[in-house]
Amino acid sequence: MSAMDPTEVFRQEASELFEVLEGALLDLGQRPDDRELVDSAFRALHTIKGSGAMFGFDKVASFTHEFETAFDRVRKGEIKPTQELISVALAAKDYIRALIEDPQSTDDIIGEAILDDLKRFVSFDQPGAPVVEIAEAPPLAPGESKQAGWHLHLEFESHILRNGSNPLDLLEDLCKLGPCFVVPITDGIPFLDEMEPEDCYLKWDVKLHAVCDKDAIDDVFMFVQDEMKLTLSPLAHVEAPAPAPLFQLLDEEPAPVVEMPAPTVEAAAAPLAEQPVAKAEPKSESRLEPKPEAKRDDRGIATVRVQAERLDELMDRVGELVIAQARLTQLAASGSDLSIKMIAEEIERLASSLRDTTMGARMVPIGSLFGRFRRLVHDLSRDLSKPVEFVTSGEDTELDKTMIECLADPLVHLIRNAVDHGIEDTAVRAANGKTEQGRIELAAVHSGAQVLVTVKDNGGGLNTSRIRAKAEEQGLVAAGAVLTDHEIHQFLFHPGFSTAQTISALSGRGVGMDVVKRTIENMRGSIDLSTRTGQGTTVTLRLPLTLAIIEGLLIRVGEGRYIIPLSAVEECIELTAEDERSRGRNFLNVRGNLVPFLRLREIMTASGTPDRHQKTIIISTGETHVGLVADQIIGNHQTVIKSLSKLHSDVTMFSGATILGDGTAALILDVAQLVALAQSKVEKQHISEAA
Amino acid sequence: MSGGLAGERQADAMQVVMIGLGEEKFALDAGLVREIIDPVPVTKVAGARAFVPSVINVRGNVIPLADLRIRFGMPQLDDSADTRIVVIEIELEGEPVLVGVTADKVYEVTEISQADVQQTPRVGMHWKPEFIRFIAKWREEFVIVPNMERILN
Repeated sequence: MSAMDPTEVFRQEASELFEVLEGALLDLGQRPDDRELVDSAFRALHTIKGSGAMFGFDKVASFTHEFETAFDRVRKGEIKPTQELISVALAAKDYIRALIEDPQSTDDIIGEAILDDLKRFVSFDQPGAPVVEIAEAPPLAPGESKQAGWHLHLEFESHILRNGSNPLDLLEDLCKLGPCFVVPITDGIPFLDEMEPEDCYLKWDVKLHAVCDKDAIDDVFMFVQDEMKLTLSPLAHVEAPAPAPLFQLLDEEPAPVVEMPAPTVEAAAAPLAEQPVAKAEPKSESRLEPKPEAKRDDRGIATVRVQAERLDELMDRVGELVIAQARLTQLAASGSDLSIKMIAEEIERLASSLRDTTMGARMVPIGSLFGRFRRLVHDLSRDLSKPVEFVTSGEDTELDKTMIECLADPLVHLIRNAVDHGIEDTAVRAANGKTEQGRIELAAVHSGAQVLVTVKDNGGGLNTSRIRAKAEEQGLVAAGAVLTDHEIHQFLFHPGFSTAQTISALSGRGVGMDVVKRTIENMRGSIDLSTRTGQGTTVTLRLPLTLAIIEGLLIRVGEGRYIIPLSAVEECIELTAEDERSRGRNFLNVRGNLVPFLRLREIMTASGTPDRHQKTIIISTGETHVGLVADQIIGNHQTVIKSLSKLHSDVTMFSGATILGDGTAALILDVAQLVALAQSKVEKQHISEAA
Repeated sequence: MSGGLAGERQADAMQVVMIGLGEEKFALDAGLVREIIDPVPVTKVAGARAFVPSVINVRGNVIPLADLRIRFGMPQLDDSADTRIVVIEIELEGEPVLVGVTADKVYEVTEISQADVQQTPRVGMHWKPEFIRFIAKWREEFVIVPNMERILN
């Protein structure tokens, strides 16, 4: 496994940053006063710029720089983020993304246009803007950028040359920023006999007479900042007018200005030479204000890139460990050596926590996916001029990462459909006495061994007669055939089927629902449609958990052990002799309700004699209750779901398998299938009774 | 893998794992074999096709356990000290799938060469011809090289 292509690493990193940026911008649209959001957007921008430059995406770096500069005024609280500004900022974000992902498709003109827009929005002062000192602000901001220049003190680690870095090159780069007055400091040079020829002993004092950002200087030293000490202070007349209004500003609005005045305050507080040596960028801020630093740390810990295969391998190894540990425990229990027993217990504890951690590692909250759709809805609702409220819930529902990736496209289709076809035009809504603003809900929830993802709109609902007419027109069904609404709705999943009267840029071409269906079925999931005329449509995706942890109830039927997803279990009761006798009927009386039951021994063709006291586990899906009769209820069990192979794809009764503590495989019962099975039996019984 | 004999054999020699099922000997392409393990507890899968009656746990993976004896209509013997599970990897619908195969005995890893290949005799065969890639001769005995993809599909 060789190192990854660094450009690829950058692309991945950038795409995460774009998500952060986009999320922050969209939130900002709703909560324009939230400083945290502005800061997080700004941080994302800044990182994109920095790494972009590092990996040679010069266009990205320069564009982002302009973007950042414009956005800076928002950060300083001089300008309120308006909807227009956010739209432009989002466009700018898209442009940067295009620059990174597909530079050929971009055009500088577009970039310039976006920047012009951006500048236009941030240039004029808005009435009622929160900061009164706007007139004063520009001269203040220079505290960072517009003073006479910078005084730099450079001290490199002695081994810097061995790493291939050349301080002279860096100095040359520095000179490109503006006229420099460079003084080497030779104090550190030892006597000849003590001198290591490969070490760097020189230090430099540089006076840079140029109007430039601190960032520009940091960029020069980006690659060596860990191997050097850089002391940076503004040149000349710093003590002058700056401090007073600055602190005033600090008092009023501490958060936004924290980063900006840092160098000035430092300079004002301490004489240049005696200043404590500061490392490049982040630290010099944190000394003044620990908060931003802490935030940076959070982000650093938040993600570590690991290839998915490695996690799979890890999971397998842990599985083996657990099995080996179970053997050890058995062995220890059969002996009488107390110390071995203690070790076995210790290992058991460690193994089980290791297992939990490992299982959790592959799971990703679905919220990371939901975030993307907010933008989609935002854009669609603007393009179609249909105001839409977008509500998500269940963001912390965890799904296997690969599943989440596969879900993205289908959900895009569904949400587009909901906005374009589902939600009616404002006028129509008003005429039907609905609120002007449509509503789309995206929700995820665990349901037994499945995750249900629903896209629900409160639009007009499916037009069943139109779908039917279209199906007849396309020859999918004979005219006049008797079909249930449900059957008619299935035509929507037919390739090339579209009822849209006009083809919009978004939908109407009839590609979509069939692709959605295929994708979901490839994941061994299913898709349901339910609709009520005038009230909206709900699309439900039922997804199995290929690799997920569920709480299961472990039961024994004959020799075999099975898992029932605990979330489906309502209660456990003993099968009474009375129930036992009513063999023909297979109904249980649970507190007055008749509940059909299935004998798992029969279904699983278990051998041997049944236990004397049979137990019934009442399971439910929705409103339907079904009893499952087993020999023994063993207890609950943390269940890692493993999917069954293709060779068993014809077996519908099980949704997967898991590995028990002793290393044997146990099958997980598919609750939905069992309920359906019970119901078909009930129907048959009714028919035979009626006959 | 539906080509003729010539298409099936790329090289002169073919590495095989020689296994015994009942009285017969089968040669599994060594390239397919991932590992050979001792028998492990099996979990019966109700409703599965007869030749893949159960699943087993192999290093944290739940894989199907196929019984070629059922596929070839041979009597099933009880597990003995010689019984092994040969884990092979085959392609099903374009995806690699691990499958365990019960063997009454595993003899050795050996080579059979092109020269040993025999025409599949037309008579005296109670196996479906499509399950057999070809028959080779090994130590004066006929061995069957099964077509695992066909058998397991």
